[in-house]
Amino acid sequence: MSATANGIESMWQELVRWCNEQFDSAPFRRLFATKFTRERAQQFSIQMAFYVQNRRDCWGYVQGSAPLDIKQLIWHHEEDELIGQKAQGKADHITLAIQEGEVFGLSAEAFEHTPRLEGGEVCFSAWIRLAQRPWLEAIAGSAILEMRNSSELIKRGSLSQRVAEMLDRDLGISMKRQINNAEHVVMDLEHAQLLMKVAQKYATTESARRAILRGARESLMIDRVYRGHLAEMMAALP
Amino acid sequence: MDLVSELLKTLDLMVNDQFESVEFKNFLRVPLTMERARFYVVQNALYTSNRRDCWGYVQGSAPLAVKRVIWEHESDELVNDPRAGMDHYTLTVKQGEVIGLKPEDFEQAEVPSMVRACFYAWHHIALRSHWLAAYTASHMLERRNNGKIVKGGGMSYRMGKKFDNELGITLKRMVSLDVHVVADTEHSENISEMFERYVKTTEDRDLVLQGARDSMAIDRAYRGALGYYMEQIH
Repeated sequence: MSATANGIESMWQELVRWCNEQFDSAPFRRLFATKFTRERAQQFSIQMAFYVQNRRDCWGYVQGSAPLDIKQLIWHHEEDELIGQKAQGKADHITLAIQEGEVFGLSAEAFEHTPRLEGGEVCFSAWIRLAQRPWLEAIAGSAILEMRNSSELIKRGSLSQRVAEMLDRDLGISMKRQINNAEHVVMDLEHAQLLMKVAQKYATTESARRAILRGARESLMIDRVYRGHLAEMMAALP
Repeated sequence: MDLVSELLKTLDLMVNDQFESVEFKNFLRVPLTMERARFYVVQNALYTSNRRDCWGYVQGSAPLAVKRVIWEHESDELVNDPRAGMDHYTLTVKQGEVIGLKPEDFEQAEVPSMVRACFYAWHHIALRSHWLAAYTASHMLERRNNGKIVKGGGMSYRMGKKFDNELGITLKRMVSLDVHVVADTEHSENISEMFERYVKTTEDRDLVLQGARDSMAIDRAYRGALGYYMEQIH
């Protein structure tokens, strides 16, 4: 194996390790220790729709700064997220989030009229700032969140998988009825590979690999803060 | 006249005025030689890449419904335009074959300093402005290429005519210019529809006008720079 291939492989292993460690962090543990009630599930669902919207902002910025072939990869990635797969009858992910909300007794208006969590808004701004940094840092900042949601990479189940299991356990809502979570459990397996595709072509120097690690590390930090705010929000609800 | 109709009329005047500017007149007056044509076609590919950057940034800041419109727009540009059977960058490279350019000529091309400054200025607007201003700044470059709005034809059409008149290369053979004569008419109409939905107040209108004015100023500087560099090629 060449020095570059070794460098990419060891960078990838580091990223996977960080994603797994995310689940052992205090904010993630606090979130997973929460018991879902109907009201908590409703607020969690709404705030997660805002998170999905923020992802669309960030991927747009990343698409802007990336080289042409990577812009094309991102464009395809955003098809699932922003438009859906019409040929397969699959809705975009925002629509899915709103449709899933019906299971928790939410109307579409609830998603429009509920304010964003203050701490969430601050995290969204931080992610946007990261998305506007040099492109390798920026893309790592967005792609790492999909690695963290890949059940292939996360040993005891991805974030969507674990939340889905909690909703089943606490409210008796099966994964089949959680159409948004179910979609992400599948789609993020594929999306998680995006960063590897980028790395194979562009992480050919130590400094490029350091840039990817820097962006990923910062994004995971924001992610921990965000999950902590969600846990706090739910703890304050009956 | 309502706010949006009046605004669209103003935008139409602005894109027509571009062709009366000293920079546009000078650029369009420079006689084409094969060397100058090669320079122009390579530069046009770099310009197309800059457009992809800016539309990405605008997609980042725009509301969800506008993101979707931009995503559709970028389908032609970035992935595949059914009119051409390829994306617009590839199309520009293919067009280069007609005048003896190779893919390496595009890959190794340098961005001249005055052009670089214009590209960074467009980036700046796309990244740092309110989304309505950023969106309009990118939209105006397609409106300025819309032959239904610009009397005498948009920029792609006029350049196509120059290639035909001065080098004997017909518009049909200049495949990228040919596709853009039609594509930018459609794009500018689809994108323009968003003004109906989002311009509700005089503040919204002013943001649109700010973006339009800034982008048209950079566009004049850009065309002025291209004209200057083409004149240096003998």
